[in-house]
Amino acid sequence: MKKKILIIDDEPDVIAYLMAILQANGYETYSNSNVKNGLELLHDIKPDLICLDIMMPHETGLSFYKRFRQNEEFHQIPVIIISGAIESGKFDFRNYVKDDAIKVPEAYLEKPINVDEFIQSVNHLLETKQLHRSSN
Amino acid sequence: MFEQVPFNVAVIDRDYNVVEANQNFKDYFGNWKGKKCYSVYKKLENPCNDCPSEEVFKKGRAVVADAVGVDQHGRKTHYVGHVIPIKNKENDHIDFVMEMTRTVTEINRWQQEYQILFDRVPCYITVIGEDFRIVRANEAFRENFGDVLGEHCYKVYKRRETKCRNCPAEKTFKDGEVHHSTQKGIGKRGQDINYQVSTSALMRGSGDVAHVIEISNDITELKKLEHKVIEAERLSAVGQTVAGLAHSIKNILMGLEGGKYIVSLGLKKNSKEMINQGWEMLDRNFDKTTSLVKDFLSFSKGRLPELQLVDPRDLIYEIIDLYKNIAAQSGIELKTEISEKVKTAPLDPAGIHTCLTNLVSNALDACSMGEQKGTEVLLKLYEGRDKLIFEVTDNGSGIDYEIKSKIFTTFFTTKGGAGTGLGLLTTRKIVQEHGGKILVDSQKGKGAMFRMVFPRKRLLALYKETKDKK
Repeated sequence: MKKKILIIDDEPDVIAYLMAILQANGYETYSNSNVKNGLELLHDIKPDLICLDIMMPHETGLSFYKRFRQNEEFHQIPVIIISGAIESGKFDFRNYVKDDAIKVPEAYLEKPINVDEFIQSVNHLLETKQLHRSSN
Repeated sequence: MFEQVPFNVAVIDRDYNVVEANQNFKDYFGNWKGKKCYSVYKKLENPCNDCPSEEVFKKGRAVVADAVGVDQHGRKTHYVGHVIPIKNKENDHIDFVMEMTRTVTEINRWQQEYQILFDRVPCYITVIGEDFRIVRANEAFRENFGDVLGEHCYKVYKRRETKCRNCPAEKTFKDGEVHHSTQKGIGKRGQDINYQVSTSALMRGSGDVAHVIEISNDITELKKLEHKVIEAERLSAVGQTVAGLAHSIKNILMGLEGGKYIVSLGLKKNSKEMINQGWEMLDRNFDKTTSLVKDFLSFSKGRLPELQLVDPRDLIYEIIDLYKNIAAQSGIELKTEISEKVKTAPLDPAGIHTCLTNLVSNALDACSMGEQKGTEVLLKLYEGRDKLIFEVTDNGSGIDYEIKSKIFTTFFTTKGGAGTGLGLLTTRKIVQEHGGKILVDSQKGKGAMFRMVFPRKRLLALYKETKDKK
C-alpha cells in the first residue's frame, strides 16, 4: 500500500511542486491550504507523514502543530517543516515553541528545497517510522 | 539717641581704644571698657590688617566695610560696619571714629547657601539682562561654555551673531511667564550641547522684567543614547527588511523550481497536462518576481505625490468594484459608509488607490485567517475637523501587540509566501507623502481598524507647491 503524505501550505505552487515530487516517488498525496480543520483532516486521511509550512511569523501553522502533537492518536506522525523564513542551519524550534513537552519536528527544510534532500528525508522518516512500529 | 539706635555703636580713638559704646554693643561683643577695638570685635591681640577706622582717620571720610568677628560668646559673626569720622570743634582734626555695626550672620549664611546652590546644581544657570548680555553664570555653565560675563547669550550659547529664533528668554521678557524649550548649543571646546531650558523672570519693583534666569538641563548624553537606540532599531529594521525580502524571493524560487520540475517531469512522461501546469507555475512566479521588484522600486523611490482635485468617493467606489467579487467568493461582506459631507480634495489618486488596495486586501486576508463566521470589511470615508479620513475596518484575525509595533516600520508579512511585506510600509509612505498619518487599532482575534488621516491644510499647501512647480 502506498504511503500517504499530507502537505499543508498556503502557496498552491508549493503544494503542486511537493505533490509532483512525492507522486513521482510513489507516494499518495493529500493537500490543504490551511489548518482550519487540521485534526479532522488527520482523522480522515490518517497520513504517514506531514509536510507543514509554519507560515512564520504567523502562528497558525505552529498552533496546529502544537495541537496535533498533544493529540494521543496523531502525535507520532513525523513532520517535515518546510519554510522560507529561516535558514536550515539556524532553525531552532525551541525559539518558537518553548514547551519541552512538545516534540520537535523530525526534519526542517528551507525553501527552495533540494529535491534529493527532500525525498531522502521523506524516505528516511518513513523507514524509521516503519522500524519503530515493527519493534513495538 | 546713642542708646536708641538699633545698631552696635562704638567710639574709637586713634590708639584703637574703645572710649564709648552703647548697650547693644555691650550685649553683643561683651565688656569693652579699657579694651582695644580689635580685642573687642575680633578677640585679637593686634590691630587688624584691613582696619576701616585707620582708613577713616587717614582719609577723613566715611567707610563701609564688612568683616568677620567674634561675639561675646566666642561665636563667629558676620557684620557690616559704617565708620564715620568725628572731628574736633575746630573741624580740622579727627579725634575719634564712630563705628556702627550690624550683624549679617544669617543673611550671610543664606547668601552662602544660595551661592553654593547657584554654583553647584547640576544644571546651567545664567542671568540675562534686557540687552541679552549674561550678567551672571554658575560654575557648571562656566565650565562648559567658558567665562563669559558681559557677552551676548546667543553668542555664548550658540556662537550666533544675532538673537535666536523663538528665544525663550525674549518671550519671558515680554510676558513675564515661564517658558520652556529644547535647544542645541556649542560648548567652549566646540562640542555640541543639547539642553532643555526654562526661563523665569526676575521682576523690578515696578513689575517689569529686569532680568531673566535661564536654567538648563544638559541632555546631551540622553540624546546620544536616544540616537543609539534609534540607530539600533534602524539597523534591525534593515536586517528585517533584508530577511523579509529573502523570504519573498525564496518563496518565488520555490515556485520557479517547482514549475521547472513539473515541466521536465511532463516532458519525460510526455504529459501535456503536466507541461502546461509547470509552465503556468513558471509564468506566475515570473510575474511575482516582476511585481516584487516593482513594489520594491516604488517603495525605495522618494517622490512627491501627483496631486489633483478628485472626489474621494470615486476612490472608494473603484476599490469596491475591484474587490467585491473576491470578497463574495470568500463569504466576506464588503460594506461602505460614506459621509455626505465629503468634499473634493487634492490627492494622488494612484497613490491613494494603492493604499486602499493594500488595506482592503489585508483586511480580506485577516477575515479569511480568522475562524469566526460573518466576517466583514467596512470602508468608511468622512470629514474630521479640517481632515479627510479614510478607514478600513475588519472583524478578522486582528493583530497582536508585538506585530503591531512592526507593521509600519519593517518589511513585514504574516502571509507566508503570499505577501511581499511591503504593503503597509508603502501605504504609510504614500500617506506621509500626502502630509497625513496612518493609525492602527487592533487586538488579536478582534479585527483591526486602519485609519488614514489627511489634514486638508497640508493637502492644500502641497497642492499649491506642485502647481507652482508646474
